[in-house]
Amino acid sequence: MTSIAAARTEGWRRTLRDPALFATVITFLDGGQITLGNLVAILRDGNHRQAFWNSLLLAALVGLCGTGLGFLYAFAAVRANLSRAWITALDAASLLPLVSPPFTSAIAMIFSFGPRGLITYHLLGIKGFTVYGLHSTLFSETLTYFPIAYLTLKPILAAIDPNVEDMAFSLGSSRWRVFRTVTLPLTVPGLANAFLLLFAASLADFATPLILAGNSFPVLPTQAYLQITGLFDLKGGAVLSFVLLVPALVVYLLQRYWVSRKYYVTITGKVGALTTIKSLAPWARAPLLSACLLLAGVILYFYVLLFYASVVVALGANHAWTWRHYQVIFTEGLKAIRDTLAIAGAGMPLGGLYGILLGYLVAKKIFPGRQAMEIVSMINYSLPGTIVGIAYLIAFNDPPIVLTGTGLIIVACYVFRYSPTGIRATVALLQQIDPSIEEASQGLGAGSGTTFRRITLPLILPAFFAGLGVVFIRSMTAISATIFLVSINWTLITVRILENMTELSLGPAAAFSILVVVIVFVVIAAISGLLRRFRTPGALEVTSILGG
Amino acid sequence: MSAVGIRIESISKRFAHRVKGEVYAVRDVNLTVQPAELLTLLGPSGCGKTTTLRMIAGFEQPDAGRVFIGEQDVTGLMANRRNIGFVFQNYALFPHLSVFENVAYGLRVQRQSEQEIAQAVGDVLALVGLQGYDRQFPNQLSGGEQQRVALARAIVIRPRVLLFDEPLSNLDAKLRVHMRGELRELQQRLHITAVYVTHDQEEAMAISDRIAVMHQGQIVQEGTAEDLYRRPDSEFVAQFIGRTNLLSGRVQSAGLGGIELEVAGRHLRLSGDAARVTGGQIVRLVVRPEVIELRPADSGDGIPGTIASRTFLGEKAEYQVRVGADLLQVTSYNPVQRGLFSVGQPVTLHFPAEGIQLLPGGPA
Ligand SMILES: Nc1ncnc2c1ncn2[C@@H]1O[C@H](COP(=O)(O)OP(=O)(O)OP(=O)(O)O)[C@@H](O)[C@H]1O
Ligand SMILES: [Mg+2]
Repeated sequence: MTSIAAARTEGWRRTLRDPALFATVITFLDGGQITLGNLVAILRDGNHRQAFWNSLLLAALVGLCGTGLGFLYAFAAVRANLSRAWITALDAASLLPLVSPPFTSAIAMIFSFGPRGLITYHLLGIKGFTVYGLHSTLFSETLTYFPIAYLTLKPILAAIDPNVEDMAFSLGSSRWRVFRTVTLPLTVPGLANAFLLLFAASLADFATPLILAGNSFPVLPTQAYLQITGLFDLKGGAVLSFVLLVPALVVYLLQRYWVSRKYYVTITGKVGALTTIKSLAPWARAPLLSACLLLAGVILYFYVLLFYASVVVALGANHAWTWRHYQVIFTEGLKAIRDTLAIAGAGMPLGGLYGILLGYLVAKKIFPGRQAMEIVSMINYSLPGTIVGIAYLIAFNDPPIVLTGTGLIIVACYVFRYSPTGIRATVALLQQIDPSIEEASQGLGAGSGTTFRRITLPLILPAFFAGLGVVFIRSMTAISATIFLVSINWTLITVRILENMTELSLGPAAAFSILVVVIVFVVIAAISGLLRRFRTPGALEVTSILGG
Repeated sequence: MSAVGIRIESISKRFAHRVKGEVYAVRDVNLTVQPAELLTLLGPSGCGKTTTLRMIAGFEQPDAGRVFIGEQDVTGLMANRRNIGFVFQNYALFPHLSVFENVAYGLRVQRQSEQEIAQAVGDVLALVGLQGYDRQFPNQLSGGEQQRVALARAIVIRPRVLLFDEPLSNLDAKLRVHMRGELRELQQRLHITAVYVTHDQEEAMAISDRIAVMHQGQIVQEGTAEDLYRRPDSEFVAQFIGRTNLLSGRVQSAGLGGIELEVAGRHLRLSGDAARVTGGQIVRLVVRPEVIELRPADSGDGIPGTIASRTFLGEKAEYQVRVGADLLQVTSYNPVQRGLFSVGQPVTLHFPAEGIQLLPGGPA
């Protein structure tokens, strides 16, 4: 009996440490009674059931389409013998959706295909076209999230030694056969991983459906959001997002225990004799490149359109030049800009430090709860943002720690939620550092402090910058978790954009979005510059700061 | 600075093993390295050479026993307090530091002045033949150059002893031979005590003053290369150092006149140390391939055999000769002048009275 009680208190203690877990417990607690009633009530409601299946359907489709596009894109980038300029262009186009608020393309969709859409209404003259529904939500989310698949698959495809393919050719295989029997199987774990990442991203996205799904295609995250912000029913919202937890957890477990184990000890080693990559038949090159260009073109078109919308009076109605929208965001919206920059600025160094600190502890096996720690921080990351947001709200609403309404809660949310990139980068770098390097330093008379400062720290510095960059980008662009955490005192640009969208003041929304993209681009450029300055020829590399 | 010796007193080290629980990597090892001597730890993979070396360096703490450098007991001392130079198998160069900074590292830790550092680093880089490489980074160097940087980095701090863990195993065969000559020359020029780990017996013989052969965590024999080759005191050492034939025999009599043996049904007389064996005892004979002389069949009272294979290598020919159920290895030098035997040809094998070591025991 006592051991059970002890286990229970321990369980509680652990739960309390992680707000996200805390929320899931709250949903089951009703006046101290553990009950499944909440959940049953939800599942009885046909509307909610529909929303649940819709969410899964959407996520699965986004996963499939996004992974497909990402693969095409990655294949073109590393397997088609493109020139550097081409690859840079492809990279740049894929970077845009990653560094903008997740619903940017949704806004552009409304501009293009909405009731007064540039394309449907003005260009094609279609009157009754409805932009709202599964098709456009799918299209928009796919476009937004495919870069994640691209970044996940690119290094995997690049790591396949062309000599392996040459080998298959030399054994008499045709190109298609090589692709089918060598290239594809080596990529399968990456494909699965990309699919799961996109699935989770879509499952967490409530803003795109909020703008594009309409009444005919309700999805759960949006329902939960409306439950809380519209009906002020915190518990109802929590329960709704709890339902989301199930597929999210399944995805997480699949990724952790299945996909990660399937990775073939990447076929690295020294790339043998340089050989031109022959995976792509000459006739297939043109269609592949055209497809990628089309994709890049659509993305570019969306952002140009967004910019255009931000400098005309009213897109679709009055195309007269104006700076008015920018005036609006720099007066009325100035507080949001200031707050966002302050929060991102505070979160940036904290996130970078937290990332290398935790990464160091994890990699060096310094403390026993390592596994638990790693899992908790990864759960924070893979949970849908809505759940995390609600969790923080509930966890810090009452004493002992009351943070609701402060900027600190938003900073904390960003730091904890987005530091896993830094943590993983640190762990990856540390694993590349042979223990004998630290011993060499010790043998030369250096104590452990000196060794850490002079040897270890410089070697993991790239991970610090990677972690810091990601926290900054997310602080500027993420919305799903923090929308529940903003207050009169602290608000965010992304939240303002969404408000603008729902009030149909599209001009300021566009101006805000452009501002975010510009700021993020400038900061990323600065960070990359720093990284390059600090990089000595022999330093280790962080592969990508934004990949899965 | 005069060189100091190293003394290891019955050190042991156990490691956790997933299946066997705890296993000894090193068990009760005693070893003395004389000042300015180069002693090699030689043995097959996994015998505990690296572990022993790392305990001398202080990277590993022994579970029992003591380590002395000079007269100082360094057993509890961290590696950074021992003033040693360690050269790692993978060189362990600091990838983010230039060649200059790699070498300067230990001096910076000692807080020497910039001027002293520049001077010392310049000198040592010249010593290892790397002038002008200061600004290169480790990943821009060849394997041999990295090796030299590692060496320079180890010796620039004027360590009391130099420790090498298979420093040449990442180099190609030619360079390995060249570098070991350089290492040896440098060690003698610096007049520094060194412990060198390798599993390559030829390298060990070429470079060392003395060799300690390790087997399963213990030192089984110590001595000069010549000692070990001529007087191995176990089958393991006999087979590990050089090539050898092991034959079984029975002592018929041992006395002042030498040892009378019966080997492969034939009579054999050796002029060995008769005190070590007694009549009737079963012994093992360590017969090196080059001491056996091959003669055409029915020439005298040698052991008859048949040539089973022949490898002609110019200055020597290597034969395998079938004697009863056994295959003996025989090396014949200057074969062109002395005449080659062809496969299938019957021959007689003649064993000299000297140069054959007797080991006790073994199956009859
Ligand atoms: N850190 C460790 N943990 C567990 N076992 C170890 C550890 N280090 C060494 N061992 C074990 O101790 C034994 C001796 O290892 P050691 O590295 O000293 O061998 P070695 O003689 O240097 O071999 P090699 O020539 O292959 O380098 C081996 O069986 C090895 O598996
Ligand atoms: Mg070893």
